[in-house]
Amino acid sequence: MSLYFVTILTNMTLISFIAISAYLILIVGEVSFGQQAFFGIGAYITATLTTLLGLDIVIALFFSFMVSASFALVLSVLTIRLSGFYFAVASLSFAELFRLSLYKIEYTVETNSGTVGPNGPEGFQNIRWIFENNVSPDNFLVIAVSSLLALIILLIFMENSKLFKNARLVGKDQIVAQSIGIRPFFYRVGFITLAGGVAGFGGGLFALFNTYIEPSMFGIMLGVHGLAYSIIGGLGYPLGPLIGVFIDIGLLESVRFLSEYRMILFGGLVAAILIIFPEGIISPRLISRIKRKLVKKTNA
Amino acid sequence: MLKIKNIGKNFGGVKAVDDLSFNVDKGEIVGLIGPNGSGKSTTINLICGVFPVDFGNISVNEQNISSLPTHERVASGISRTFQNIRLFKDLSVWQNIWVALQQDSDQSSGWMREWFGNSKLQKEKIKEILVFSGLGDRFDDLAGNLSFGEQRRLELARAIASKPKLILLDEPAAGMNSDEVADLRQRILDLKKLGLTVLLVEHVMELVMNVVDRIVVLNFGKKIAEGSPENIQNNKDVQKAYLGGA
Ligand SMILES: Nc1ncnc2c1ncn2[C@@H]1O[C@H](COP(=O)(O)OP(=O)(O)OP(=O)(O)O)[C@@H](O)[C@H]1O
Ligand SMILES: [Mg+2]
Repeated sequence: MSLYFVTILTNMTLISFIAISAYLILIVGEVSFGQQAFFGIGAYITATLTTLLGLDIVIALFFSFMVSASFALVLSVLTIRLSGFYFAVASLSFAELFRLSLYKIEYTVETNSGTVGPNGPEGFQNIRWIFENNVSPDNFLVIAVSSLLALIILLIFMENSKLFKNARLVGKDQIVAQSIGIRPFFYRVGFITLAGGVAGFGGGLFALFNTYIEPSMFGIMLGVHGLAYSIIGGLGYPLGPLIGVFIDIGLLESVRFLSEYRMILFGGLVAAILIIFPEGIISPRLISRIKRKLVKKTNA
Repeated sequence: MLKIKNIGKNFGGVKAVDDLSFNVDKGEIVGLIGPNGSGKSTTINLICGVFPVDFGNISVNEQNISSLPTHERVASGISRTFQNIRLFKDLSVWQNIWVALQQDSDQSSGWMREWFGNSKLQKEKIKEILVFSGLGDRFDDLAGNLSFGEQRRLELARAIASKPKLILLDEPAAGMNSDEVADLRQRILDLKKLGLTVLLVEHVMELVMNVVDRIVVLNFGKKIAEGSPENIQNNKDVQKAYLGGA
């Protein structure tokens, strides 16, 4: 595979983590404009742990997940009384607060591979894990894709669990969910936390792949894209967000003559898709229709 | 079994429920009536904990539930239907019952199984509830494809699935023709036979007067009368309230 192609595939894989994290929050009926912050937290954590402490990638990514999830947990508890656009604005404020703080955080150390550590607006340079471990772009793609695949398989498996079923009921109608005995806050907090962790994990991989990160990478447009991917992909099934990613980066960016116009085309495409599929391409309705067909077949 | 003591709820300047007290005894069917906007639905929402009371006390079987979250009130035996039908319309009829059955903590089989495992189907139980509710032949249909009357029955079936001791019905007869009302009346009496306690909010007097043991009348959030159906029919204050002269 050409390097160009490998890079596009890796980018698609990494941004899928944000799309899935947006999806997890949409499932419980909220909209977050702040998932880029958890991606950023994860990126800075993995960058710090691999360069400054020389920790193993598995441990670094684990901490990226945990720390981002902890921030998301705090955010979800603080915003427990907010929903709808109030929550959306709160999540965005948190994300901007995080991004702007990054400009102020400076802690650098000189190593043989150069200056490392968060360095305010300069960002975090020289994340040399890929080079130090001789990980080729192809190999990195394998790591990223297998992580994403593991996540997707886990989510598909979990779709049938009471945890996910109840979460979807809370997302559909919180009042009814409550009045059949479901504890809505548990699902809200749980899914926002999980979403934070997933974004953080992806951010960790992103830091390793990109070899440097800076505050401006974690602006609102990143989160908005993640959101758009999961909305056009649909909330019916964990593969939905990937469809959104594929349409934007896979089709628009990789086709060279389109890539210049990608932002314009994507905006139009989102509108067009939502006119044709108001609930996204893989909508919950579509999934329940397919399931009912399958059940009828097995019964017949 | 249900004791409501001096409860109140304000929405901005509106006193939706104002210093309201009444009791519902075990096995009783009590009607809660009143003109539009008199606070009937708000009373149900307060009993279920959709929002908290501003003051006063609600207890069920001597347990003060005023500050419990809704799901705990459900667990303690309260369930309800909604004035504007609220079903999971893109789920099938049986799934609408199933989701309620699944919340029953007695079914628990360890938290790992409970949260992460595939959930048990309980088809017989679902069938039984649907047959009892007159929806036996609608098992596989989408809830959204049911007729209006059937959707009301499904809401009632879902409320029963939570194994309540007290069931709160918010205008279950709204929009029904008189055959359907007669059918509903029989269903409410069936609930009573099962030992359930019922609080019935209703405008359709044909139903209220023929099914309840006792009536509480609200106007502007306040109780203006309480008594047997005959008593209430002859009550001057009630007549005035309904004619808008209060
Ligand atoms: N969530 C709310 N926010 C603000 N005001 C509310 C809310 N719910 C009810 N109200 C107001 O409280 C008052 C009582 O409303 P409620 O719905 O309890 O009346 P009701 O007796 O059920 O009337 P109806 O017979 O029309 O159903 C009304 O003035 C209504 O506008
Ligand atoms: Mg009402």
